[in-house]
Formats: sequence, C-alpha cells, structure tokens
Amino acid sequence: MKHFESLTGKQLSRRQLLAGSALVGGGLMAATLTGCGGAAQAAPVQDIDFWHLLSGGDGIKMQAMINAANQANPGFTVHPTVLAWGPPYYTKLAMASAGGRPPEVAIMHASRVPGYAPGGLIEPWDLDLLAENGVTAADFAPRIWEKSQQDGKVFSIALDSHPFIMFYNTDVAAKAGVLGSNGQLGEVSSPQEFKAMALEMQKVTKAHGLSFGYLGSGSQMWRLFYTLYKQHGADMELTPGQPMKVDRDAAVESLEFMASLFDDTIAAQAGDISTGIAEFARGSSGMLFSGVWELPTMKKAGIPVDAATIPTLYGTPASYADSHSFVLPRQLNHNEDKRRDVYKFVTDVLKGSLSWAEAGHIPGYQPVVQSQAYRDLTPQIHYANAADIIAYDPEAWFSGSGSDWQTYFAENVQNVLLGRDKAAAGWDAFEQRTNTLLSRPNPV
Amino acid sequence: MSTSTLSRPRPENLRTSLNRSNNNLSGWAFATPFLVFFLVFLVWPILYGFYMSLTGKSLTGANDSLIGFANYAEALADADMWHSLGNTLYFTVISTVPLVLVALVMAALLNVGLPAQWLWRLSYFAPYLLASTVVSLFFTWMYNPQLGLINEFLTGIGLPRVAWLNDPNVAMWAIVIATLWWTVGFNFLLYLAAMQNIPAQHYEAASLDGAGAWRQFFSITLPQLTPTTVMIVLLQILASLKIFDQVYQMTAGGPAGSTRPVVQYIFETGFTGYRLGYSAAISYIFFGLIVVVSVMQFVITRRRSA
Repeated sequence: MKHFESLTGKQLSRRQLLAGSALVGGGLMAATLTGCGGAAQAAPVQDIDFWHLLSGGDGIKMQAMINAANQANPGFTVHPTVLAWGPPYYTKLAMASAGGRPPEVAIMHASRVPGYAPGGLIEPWDLDLLAENGVTAADFAPRIWEKSQQDGKVFSIALDSHPFIMFYNTDVAAKAGVLGSNGQLGEVSSPQEFKAMALEMQKVTKAHGLSFGYLGSGSQMWRLFYTLYKQHGADMELTPGQPMKVDRDAAVESLEFMASLFDDTIAAQAGDISTGIAEFARGSSGMLFSGVWELPTMKKAGIPVDAATIPTLYGTPASYADSHSFVLPRQLNHNEDKRRDVYKFVTDVLKGSLSWAEAGHIPGYQPVVQSQAYRDLTPQIHYANAADIIAYDPEAWFSGSGSDWQTYFAENVQNVLLGRDKAAAGWDAFEQRTNTLLSRPNPV
Repeated sequence: MSTSTLSRPRPENLRTSLNRSNNNLSGWAFATPFLVFFLVFLVWPILYGFYMSLTGKSLTGANDSLIGFANYAEALADADMWHSLGNTLYFTVISTVPLVLVALVMAALLNVGLPAQWLWRLSYFAPYLLASTVVSLFFTWMYNPQLGLINEFLTGIGLPRVAWLNDPNVAMWAIVIATLWWTVGFNFLLYLAAMQNIPAQHYEAASLDGAGAWRQFFSITLPQLTPTTVMIVLLQILASLKIFDQVYQMTAGGPAGSTRPVVQYIFETGFTGYRLGYSAAISYIFFGLIVVVSVMQFVITRRRSA
C-alpha cells in the first residue's frame, strides 16, 4: 500500500475483476471438488500460497523477504499473490475463505481482523508452535500484542505498525526558524502553535506550509481525524445494538481544526492524496501528513526529509495506526507439514523485517526494533516512539482500513473539510450513519 | 420395381419424420450449450438469489436461516437504498435524454451527405468499442481539478475551475458526459441505419411539393424514425438503469454518496459489507423495477407492431 491506494480503490481494472471472479469461481469449484477427492500430494517441496495487498514500494521489499525465506528453507516455496489494496482484497479473501480454498497464509490489516475472526474465516495462531520457532508474546509491543487478540485467542501476528505521521522538509523548517537545537522540528503543543509554525513555513515556500490531500479518500480523512480525536484522550466504542459511544465535542473540535487548515495558505483547500504528496515532494510545502509508507517516495524525491509523530495538540499523545498482520485463513483440509512451514515462513519474515523498516514501517518484532541496525535508520528512529502511542480503529465488523465505514466518513465529512458544511452537521450525519450500521444484525 | 410406386410415399414420409427428429436432435444439440449456461448462470441464480433474499445469509456463510421478508422490510426503510435508487433513476433520466437526442442529431448531420462518411461513422462509433475502464481513466484525468484538460480549457477562456468529480452537484453530470461520449455511437448507428432505410421517394415527393429541409426532417424523417426511437429509448433506459462501471471507477460512489447507483449499493452491502441476504433483497426490489420497465417495453413494441 502507498499513495496509489486511492487509485486502486476506485480504478479496478477489468483484468483485476476477471482475475477476481476467476479466483472466486475457482474457489467455489475447488470447494465442491475437494469434497470428492482431496488433492493431498506428497510432494517433497511444499507450495505455500500467500496473499497480500502490498503493491507499492513495500511490495518490492516484501518480495525480497519472501525470496530470502524461500532460499533459507528448501523444504517449501512461498508463492505470493498480490491483490489491489482495500475492498477488492478483503472481498476476495473473505470469499476464498468462505469457499474453503483460501491461501495458507495472508496479510490483513489488524483493524480488519474483528470482522473476520468471529465468523471463523481465520484460525487462531498456535502459540506453542510460534515459540518453537522462537517468537513469543514478549517480542511485541504491548499495544500491538493486545490488538492481535480476539476473545483471548491470537488471530494475527503483526509484521509492523504503520502509523500516520508527519514528514517535514528540514531545509524549509530551518529557514522558517522552527527547528530545535537537535536539528529536529521544535515541539508544538496546541492547534494555534501548530498553525503558527505552518504559517512560518508558508512564508519560506511561498506556496503552502502543510500538504495534506484528502479528496475522495475516506481512509485519509479518517487517519488524521482519528489521530486528533484520540489526542483529546477520548474513546470511541462501537457495540452492535447500541448507539455509538463517542465524545461528540472532541470529534467536532477535531473536524473544525482540520477544516481550518485548508485555507489555501496553511494547506491547499482541495487536493487528493497524490496531489498532496507531489506538492511536498517538490518542496512546495514544509510538512506532509501521511502514512509512514510514503518514506521511500520522499527519499527518492531527493528532498531533505525528516519525520516525527504528529504533534500532540490536545494533551494526549496519540497516532492513528494499523498493522500489516499475518493471518491463517481457515483451511478445509489441514496439512500438518504445511502448517509448520507456514509458521517457519512467518517467523523468518518477522526476524528479517529490518528491510521492512526501510520501507518506512515500524517492525512489530521488537528484537529488530531494538537492534543497532534499526537505531541507525533515520528518520525511522525519529518516529519509532509511535508504536507506544498508536491508536487502532474502534473494533466492529464494519470498521478498519479500507472499509465501507471509512467511505461513509468521507461522504459526511468531505464537505466539512471543503468549508461547505458545518463540522457539527457533518459529524452528526456520520454518527447517525454509524448508528444505522450498529442497529443492523452483525453478519459475521 | 412394381412396389416402387406403392412404396414411394412411405420412404418420403419416413425421411421427413426422420429429418424432423434429426432436426430436433441437432437443434437441441446446438441449443444445449446455451441452455446449460442459461440454466446455470441465469435461472438458477435468480431462484437461488430470491431464496437468499429471504435469509440472513452472510458472506461467511453464517445466519443462513429463513427470516421471511425481514430483509425487504429493512430495505424499504433504508434511506441509503432509496438514495442510491434515486441516483440510478436520476442518472437514467439525465443520461437517456442526451443519449437519444445527440445520437439523432449526429445521425441527421451525417445523413445530409457529408463527405468521408466512413470516417465520421468510425469516429462516432469508435469510443463505444473501448472498455469502461479505459473511458473512466481518460475522463478521470481530464476531470482532474488541477491538472485536467477540461479545467485547463475553462481557465483558458476565463471561466472558473470546476471540481468535476469532487462536487456533489456536478459529479453526476460529469459521469453523464463521459457516458455520452462513450456510448452515444451505438444509438447513432441505429438511427443512421434507420434514416438510410427511409425511401428516397418520400423526400422527392416532399421537395416537389415545396417542403424545405426542416419541414422534411420533422414531417418525414422523424415520423419514419418513431419505431427506432421507441426501441432506442427503451434500450437506453434499460442500459442506464444498470449504471455501475463508470461510477465505481471514477468516483466510487462519492462525493457524499451523490453518484452511488443502486447496483453499487448492492455490491457494497453484499460483498464488502458481508450481508448477502440483505443485498439480494435490494437487488430483487431493483429487479422488480426493471421488470416493470421491460413489460412496458414489451407492451409498447407489441402495440406498435400489431
């Protein structure tokens, strides 16, 4: 995933559709066929199917990690299938699992696991077998480990956490006089201070102080909103059958602050994700709110870039994040050898996730994060503290990265950000939409 | 040989009845592939889909017990269902009118005898051959608020920029414009064929009586085209009701749900929202609407041909 996600969400090609329906059809056929025969072949080299949705720069890193694991383990070969980020991926994964012919292992966003685990689409991890491969609960940060569980069982193993952070151009920041003595951005702790800093940067770039593209992307609006909302120390709870539990004042204040940024001076009033990234990458702004996965793009752009977590503007440090996590889709036919190979593959990838960190993500596996090699990575080390303050989506069957819920957020909030609608009205409409979802039967 | 005269009719009878059963057999053999597909991919899904709409079935296979018409009751009270159905109908109205009128004007212009007819025919019809994805990509680029060709042109002649696909008031029109460019060629071709079938004598007689070009168009061409117009309008309504591809690819239903057609809502409820039973119920409500339109088409065309 990277900034193309906004495109892949919309622009599903006919070929992808065909491939998807072929997969689905194949899955259904396989479900009926395995009933009559079972195709267990005693091959010397196990073939492991692995689905993921990493199609950008981090997709290349993932391929390298798969190659490394394949080379280190002559007993199995992992065959990755890369699918488009967002709804297309999750639809196919759910249908393949429901049809009984899913891959042996797949990547999911940790925030989407609550929609999958209760319905039995994925299976819990065997902690003993993980420990045999040298990976235990102690190897993960507490917030991340906690997120991997549903009803006391571990359903996902986090490869990383990828928070929503702030990139900044050190040249622009230096000229604007907002760098601290350590060469990093000085601390700001209120919305006013942040805006003042952005305006100083705007005087340097003559264009904008901050880049943040959001048009048409519910995910992107949600990432910034939820960061600001959680900085109020507020919680959000989604319990089916009950209205949403939310701090309305905090939500409205967050939206009002966001809308006040898009005044065509601090930030462009209307732009999509790629426009925002392009603006920052050519030096026309001092800061960019974005996911860590844009780091390779920024490095390639050749601008002097550093990064930090989004400043704490409302008292409580918080950073929206999600995790790419390994899950085990439910299999109809268990093959013990394959299962062991999957555990070996996943633990190998975790241990080799330093190269994953180069793509910007914070590795979930703590021994890598604590290694000297990781400490030497800049700017990664400057936002590594995000892992302790990350906030995942509130849990519900309809929430999570690339979910329809985020689309509904965009539908109700985009007009607020464009200055066409009041923050309170936009929020109330979204809350009402959410309550409708909560009032409906949980399908999983 | 003496029996030959007597027996002559019999072998012929035999042959024809054999022929007939052979014909029947080979007819069925030719029809079987179609029938199999028809049964497996149309009849069965229609029956099974209706059954599914009476259950709470989800994509995960859970809750597949019968719940009667609860899904239908929920759908009829679902504001988003009505909103998306309204979007589909709105699109159908504002796309059908230009798709018929522009096709008529294009065909009439060509029919007055422009040189290089093949070139015009080709260039009007060529977009129709493109995949919807290609068309969507073209227009997404051209509609881009900052870099797009269309806004470049507008600012060039001193008009303000338009946020084509990002403004809830404009987005549906932007989709209609793209659809018009894409599919008008088909209607154009039907009209052109019909115009070229109008006997030349009619025009000769009219011009002898002193009718000018406009008079001829309204008094001869248009009335002669009526059956074609009826067919085009009905085909176009049915095609527009199915709107999904362009919207899904260009706006994904946004901004603010202003372009989400009912087909996309069915897709979202069922596949990304897991609720197959509920989405089946919505699709049957929509199906009912299409059946009404189709029956209207049937009745109108039958009355015309009778």
